[in-house]
Amino acid sequence: MTTRLERIEVPDAVAAEERARRVVLAAFAVREPVPRPRRRRRVAIGVVLAACAVALAAASPPGMAVVDRVREVVGVERSAPALFSLPAPGRLLVASDSGVWVVGTGGEKRLLAGYSEASWSPFGRFVVATREHELVALEPEGDIRWTLARPAPHGARWTGTRTDTRVAYVDRSGLRVVAGDGTGDHLVASAGRAPVAWRPGSAHVLAYVVADGLHVRDVDTGRVLARARSPLRTGLHTELEWSADGRRLLVVDDGVVLVFASDGTLLTRSNRESGRVIDAAFRPRSHQVLVARFRGGGQSTVSELESGRTVFSGTGVFDEITPSPDGRWLLVEWRTADQWVFVRLQGHRVIRAVSGIAKQFRGKAVVEGWCCAR
Amino acid sequence: MAGAGRDERAWVRGAQRGSASDLEALFHAHWPAAYRAAYLVIHDAALAEDVAQEAFLAAIRNLDRFDRRRPFGPWLHRIVVNRAIDTGKARALRRESELTEGDAIREDAEPPDSSVLRALGGLPPEQRAVVVLRHLLGYTPGEIARLLELPRGTVNSRLRRGLDAMRESL
Repeated sequence: MTTRLERIEVPDAVAAEERARRVVLAAFAVREPVPRPRRRRRVAIGVVLAACAVALAAASPPGMAVVDRVREVVGVERSAPALFSLPAPGRLLVASDSGVWVVGTGGEKRLLAGYSEASWSPFGRFVVATREHELVALEPEGDIRWTLARPAPHGARWTGTRTDTRVAYVDRSGLRVVAGDGTGDHLVASAGRAPVAWRPGSAHVLAYVVADGLHVRDVDTGRVLARARSPLRTGLHTELEWSADGRRLLVVDDGVVLVFASDGTLLTRSNRESGRVIDAAFRPRSHQVLVARFRGGGQSTVSELESGRTVFSGTGVFDEITPSPDGRWLLVEWRTADQWVFVRLQGHRVIRAVSGIAKQFRGKAVVEGWCCAR
Repeated sequence: MAGAGRDERAWVRGAQRGSASDLEALFHAHWPAAYRAAYLVIHDAALAEDVAQEAFLAAIRNLDRFDRRRPFGPWLHRIVVNRAIDTGKARALRRESELTEGDAIREDAEPPDSSVLRALGGLPPEQRAVVVLRHLLGYTPGEIARLLELPRGTVNSRLRRGLDAMRESL
C-alpha cells in the first residue's frame, strides 16, 4: 500500500513546491507583522515615496523653483471653504485620525469616533468598521448591530444580496469571513492578506492577496477558482477592485496597476516610465481604468489607463481617487493642497474643489467609500 | 536516521534564530510528503497546495513556541492532516458550483487514472487521513491517535474499515 500511495502522481507538484517555497520564505522574512489599516498603508506607501521624490527634486536648484511654484499655485484656485454638498447622490465614508465620518449628500457629517477604518454594506444601509481588537457592524447613525472580538482586524469588506450577506476581513489568523448578522465566523485562508475584494454577483467569490499574487476563492465551497501571479511579485499590493460585471480584476502592486481577467490572465499593466501609480479605479459599469500617478517634477495626474487621456493634473501629491456611485464624478484627494477635487467625467468638464479637508475631518482624511446610487 | 534528526534539530534551531536557509532546508525536507498527504486526503491539487502551504505558514507563526527536542515532521503532519480533513469534509458537504459561461476559470488537470487514488477517494476524509498517515507517512496507530487526538480504538477501526473498503474497490 505504501508503495502504491507513493507512486500516485500529484498534479503540478514541482510548480506547487516552488510557489509554496516563495510564499513560505516571504512569510518568514516578515514574521510577526503588525497589521495596519489598508487604506492608511496604501496612502503611506504612496505619500512616502512621492514625498521622497519631491524632497530629492527640491534639493537641486531647479527643484527649488518647483517648490516655489508649489507654494504659489498648488490647489484649485476657486475652491469652497467647506464641503457644503456632494455633487452626486450617495454618502461618503471617510476615515481620519478622529474616527470614521459619514458624509451625506447635503454635506452633513456624523463622526463614528474611535474606528480606524470602515466600508459600506452592499446597499449602504450599514457600515462595517474596525477598531483595535473589534470588528463592528453598525448603522450609519452610529447604532451598533453586532461586534466580534478579533485580534487586530482590518480590511473588512461586505458583499451580498438584500437577504444574504458576508463580511470578509483579515486578522492575525489570516483571512476570515462572517455572515452579515455576525454569525458563522470562520477562517478562509491563513495565507490571505488585505486587501480583499468581493466579486460582484450573488455567489460569494472573494479575491485576496497572498505573498506573491492573488487567489480568487468561492468561500462557500472553499474552492480556489483562479490564481494570478503578479509579475512584480513584490507583495506590496495596495488596491484590489473588481469591475461591476466581475470580469476584470484591478490590482495596484508596488506602484504599477495590473488588470487581470477573471481566470487570472494578465491583460494590461502600466509602465513605470509613466509615473508611480498611487491609486486606480474602474469607471463604474465599465472596464475603463482611471489611474492616479505621481510623475517626475512634482506633478501628479489622473488619466485613463488605455488611452492615456488626462482627466486631471496638479502639482504635488494625489492620494485616493473615488468615482461617484452614478459614475458621473471622480473625487480626487489632493493631499498637497489639502483639497478634495470633484471632476465631472461625463459631458463637458467641470471641476469643484473643497479646501481645508484636514481641519474639517480633524486630521488626515482618507475616503473609504462612496455609496450608493438610489 | 539519527543524522537526519540532528540535521532537523539544527534547522529548527537556525530557523528560530531567523535563518532563512535553515527554514528552506526544513521546507524542502517536509514539503513533498505534506503536499502528497494533503492531496491524497482532499483529492484536489489546488486545495491541497493551500492546505500544505497554510500548514507551513502556521508552523512559521508558531515556530518560537516549538520545542526543538521534538521532531518537526509529526507537528507539521498533524496540522496538514487536520486541515485536510476539515477541507475534505467541507467539500463533501457542499456541492461545488458550476462555473458560469464566459468565466473561463482555470481548472486543475484531471488527476491521473489510478485505481488506488479512486479507491482512496471513495472513503470519508477521516478514513482517508488515517490510511495516509499509516501507509504514506508511516505512523503507528498509537502515534496517529496522539496526532489526531483520537482514541486508539477509533484509529484502528477507521484504518480497518478504510482498508476493507479499498480492497473491495480494488
